[in-house]
Amino acid sequence: MKVRIVTMAVLALAATGTAAHAADPRYPDWPCTQAKVPEISLAAVWAGPALDDVQTKWKDDAKVSALVSKLSARKTPLDEAEKSVKEFLAGSATDKTTNAKLLFAGLFETLNAQRAQVMIGLERVSRKQRDAADKIREETLALQALQGVTPRDEAKVEALSNELIWKTRIFEDRHKVVRFVCEVPTSIDQRLFALGRVIQQELE
Amino acid sequence: MSRTWRVGLLSGLALAAAPAHAFIAYVSNEKSNTVSVIDTDSWTVTKTIKVGQRPRGIDFTRDGKFVMVAVGDDDTIQVIDAKTQSIVDSLPSGPDPELFAQDAAGKILYVANENDNTVTVIDLEKRARLGDIQVGVEPEGMTISPDGKMLINTSETTNMAHFIDTTSRQIVANVLVDARPRFAEFKHDASELWVSSEIGGTVSIIDPRKHEVIGKVTFEIPGLRKEAIQPVGIGMTRDDKTAFVALGPANRIAVVDVASRKVTKYLLVGQRVWHMAFTPDEKYLLTTNGVSNDVSVIDVAAQKVIKTIQVGELPWGITIAP
Repeated sequence: MKVRIVTMAVLALAATGTAAHAADPRYPDWPCTQAKVPEISLAAVWAGPALDDVQTKWKDDAKVSALVSKLSARKTPLDEAEKSVKEFLAGSATDKTTNAKLLFAGLFETLNAQRAQVMIGLERVSRKQRDAADKIREETLALQALQGVTPRDEAKVEALSNELIWKTRIFEDRHKVVRFVCEVPTSIDQRLFALGRVIQQELE
Repeated sequence: MSRTWRVGLLSGLALAAAPAHAFIAYVSNEKSNTVSVIDTDSWTVTKTIKVGQRPRGIDFTRDGKFVMVAVGDDDTIQVIDAKTQSIVDSLPSGPDPELFAQDAAGKILYVANENDNTVTVIDLEKRARLGDIQVGVEPEGMTISPDGKMLINTSETTNMAHFIDTTSRQIVANVLVDARPRFAEFKHDASELWVSSEIGGTVSIIDPRKHEVIGKVTFEIPGLRKEAIQPVGIGMTRDDKTAFVALGPANRIAVVDVASRKVTKYLLVGQRVWHMAFTPDEKYLLTTNGVSNDVSVIDVAAQKVIKTIQVGELPWGITIAP
């Protein structure tokens, strides 16, 4: 029975190993269906005034940098974040454009960095998964060899099948987590774009 | 025909076209399992219809009476009555239908089933399954030649456009394009087939008689990473002069001059733009933006985005009543 479970697990593993989509040759470790965009380009999310003159100045403004941290946190709901942007800009009369630029520059840098971290993590897990899959394949072959030997060493067969079941379970759990985490870069894109849109609307 | 009479007729036509016609657009929302109904007069969502799981491909029947929507996770295609805006029937697809294409007469429907490498052929009048075409690879983009003789199926696994003879139901030619071909569109005069490649970042132009790539459209947006340029949906004006290409996470639609195959303009729309549909008068082009959960309205003549409409989560496909 256990042996059958292992065989099935290995079959499942083989199935999950083949990506549903053709892999991007530029990024062999990228595990997600969404084609990889290594970083968000400013032009993809911002059509407002040029940010060249503000660059990293947002960090020097205590109010702006505090707001950036709050708005960048995934635990802050998006509609609440949008409301905070409007309030902040409504309260800055003469320096509205500067504040808007500082705020977006901060969000752009912070969210892009947050996104890069997630992507590095995803590729690390992807490499780990590939090693785990190799290991599971090797051990499956070893198990099949053990099963073919007469007299059969039942204790050894049992030990190795348990080991394989355990490894396969970890592999599959991780596979599910990866699929879930693949959504995170997209949700960061979404937040940055939505906040950028509100900031630009407030400037119009 | 006298000249005055002709002028009179022309101005009569112009008059008839003058009042803004309200059209109805249907948008499938992949994540919220709904279809949003948009009125193009008020540009608002007038109804949200609850449909099956994971709605993607969506299209009006040619007579404008029904809207078909592929609900992949329910392994079927649901039929919405355009009058009552409610689900009235379903069509027998294979497992996990993603999208479909119908012939010019609206009699035969070809359904791409993501899970079993087949295309299901359905008789639309009888709403019955006629058979399956084994395509051997996971079907992705699909379109039919204007004469209905050739079915084109693009595959992400082979990076090819496969030409399938609709009579013999056999693959008759394979054309290699760039990585991850997603969408195929014929010119209305059938002289060219355009195929977008999401990872390759290009649109390949194929001579459908010789089965050869005869040109490529490339994209370059200042300040934007190449990886963000992921071409998917293609829309072509009826005169075959202008093409619109959706560029995914570049958040832009490229306006392409068909004759020179060059981009003339990039329009900033919403996030991760994939599919689009023209209003029947070709005044407007509506695009689905999957990540910002909205639809952008483009004034086709002015080549400008004039409106954004919030819809459900992960808007995927769009169709407009003929």
